[in-house]
Amino acid sequence: MIGGAPFYEFGRFGEGTSLVIAVLLGIAFGWFLEQGGMGNARKLSGQFYLTDLSVLKLMFSAIVTAMLGLFWLSWAGLLDLSRVYVPETFIAPQVVGGLIFGAGFATGGLCPGTSCVAAATGRKDGLALIAGMLAGVFVFGEASPAIGQFADSTGRGAWTLPQAFGLSYGTVVGGIVAVALGAFAGAEWLERRAERPARPMKVVA
Amino acid sequence: MSDVATTAAGQPLGTAASSRAEVTTTTRVQVRREAAPYASPYVAGVGIGVVLLLAFVLMGRGLGASGAFSSVVAAAVSTAAPSHAAGNEFYSRYLSDGAANPLRDWLVLEIIGVVIGGLASAVLAGRVRWTTERGAGITDRRRLVNAFVGGTAMGVGAKLARGCTSGLGLTGGATLSVGSWLFVIAAFVGAYATAPLLRRAWR
Amino acid sequence: MTVDARRRPGIERALAIVAVVGGALAVVAGSPTRATRGSVDVTELARIVEHEEDHVTAVELATWIRDDKPRLRVLDIRADSEFADFHIPGATRVPLAEIARMPLDSAATYVLYSEGGTHAAQGWFLLRARGVKNVFFLRGGLYEWLEQVMNPRVASTTPQAQRDSVRALTLWFGGKMTVVDSASTTTVPSVLDGALSTPHKSDTRESIKKIRRRAC
Repeated sequence: MIGGAPFYEFGRFGEGTSLVIAVLLGIAFGWFLEQGGMGNARKLSGQFYLTDLSVLKLMFSAIVTAMLGLFWLSWAGLLDLSRVYVPETFIAPQVVGGLIFGAGFATGGLCPGTSCVAAATGRKDGLALIAGMLAGVFVFGEASPAIGQFADSTGRGAWTLPQAFGLSYGTVVGGIVAVALGAFAGAEWLERRAERPARPMKVVA
Repeated sequence: MSDVATTAAGQPLGTAASSRAEVTTTTRVQVRREAAPYASPYVAGVGIGVVLLLAFVLMGRGLGASGAFSSVVAAAVSTAAPSHAAGNEFYSRYLSDGAANPLRDWLVLEIIGVVIGGLASAVLAGRVRWTTERGAGITDRRRLVNAFVGGTAMGVGAKLARGCTSGLGLTGGATLSVGSWLFVIAAFVGAYATAPLLRRAWR
Repeated sequence: MTVDARRRPGIERALAIVAVVGGALAVVAGSPTRATRGSVDVTELARIVEHEEDHVTAVELATWIRDDKPRLRVLDIRADSEFADFHIPGATRVPLAEIARMPLDSAATYVLYSEGGTHAAQGWFLLRARGVKNVFFLRGGLYEWLEQVMNPRVASTTPQAQRDSVRALTLWFGGKMTVVDSASTTTVPSVLDGALSTPHKSDTRESIKKIRRRAC
């Protein structure tokens, strides 16, 4: 492998270094999240009322960037894609879990990662959300023997979209880029529509 | 980095209410300047994408968040009731050799970084405030209850799905994992279905 | 606080263009790996190995070379320096990574060899995975070549005809045949029966040195 990436997978450095890298990557992650306003529940929740679609823009931009990066680094022979971790698919638990998660997301206005940014910047609701998350994980942990069978059901392993649709990897990549750009155009249109006041808007702090 | 518009008298526009807030909470105000505008979500998103890509290139894995919460809970339960934790398949997954040191967990350290990075960004942009983000339609207390309840639901949902918007949405999204895309779609459906019930909370 | 977001139309447009180009080219490229994917019929391969149709003996290879078998390609998988020291006449050096990528000649007969034969066997598998049918390897490796072609030790009880054919082959390659009296020699494989003898694990370097000394 010319490039030798992922470097940790090829034994280029050990666990200690990997933990340092974790912190550094986390710092950059947190930085950009806050820069994008994701640490602010009011801004974030605008997504679900179609007034401020920053969540969609930010997430989709991140996904597309990393996705293209993975494709082209692999194509250039610099990265061994087969050694990159692909989250496993568990159809039923992930759909049900997603619905529950989404309901919580709209209620709380933050997600696990952004709640840490919110808490870090002094937001009490971020702290409350973190506490809630810990409680939720505990509830799940205690309930897991009972619902374990469902939680482990319908597993499909590292199933990817190209495999599922029978399309080439590159075609799926191109398709997602197209969907993203379409979504961005739609988002801009929705936000412009939201800005045109049907009634006078309050200037709030 | 402050390019906030001002009135002719030099008063920053759009922040009249926050000035009022500052008057009543002067002792606790940490910011020295008015809040700078957020970055473009596209640019911030690409920035996160690069960080995510770096994680893949360096570690062969993506970013995450909910896993850190699991590690913390598993460690806490293991400390309080070791045999119970060891006997529970879910907790054991986050414990190695029976004892968990969350500080050696990759995701926990990443989250520590997120806290540092988020704070740094907010400090430089003048966006640190000890406050509760809520709409005018509800009280602080109500908002905090909502946040806790929402967090609980997300904790359950994330563990059921084995990830959250970071671990599945970003990492799974970029690696084209089917289950991750299903999760994200389901999450948005769940959110849009719930949002109308909470309209007053955000106005 | 509700704070406006800064808009960067120039940067955003540039990013969008990069994304479009990156995505469109990805569709064209199709696969994120330029490496060839191989596939094998494991049952078929097992059958081939069991029937010993996967390898050739050194004598067989030597005969092919001497008789100028058409489109024979002998590949040496060892390091550059080892190749420079000594290689089978007509062989080209191709490391395993290249074997995985090199352009293929569908009409050629490939024979791979390495020091002992293991790497050559792996190369054989790679070429089969790439769809090549006419591929063999030297199971005993260079050891076998030196033992059976360059330095064969023939028992004195071997029939004259056989001894002559071995000597002719050996001489053709500049080697030397030795006739040994005792019974404790390895039987020289006949070109006719194609049986493989167990090569001595003698030092390749020693054998090569002996060959060198003999040369003028």
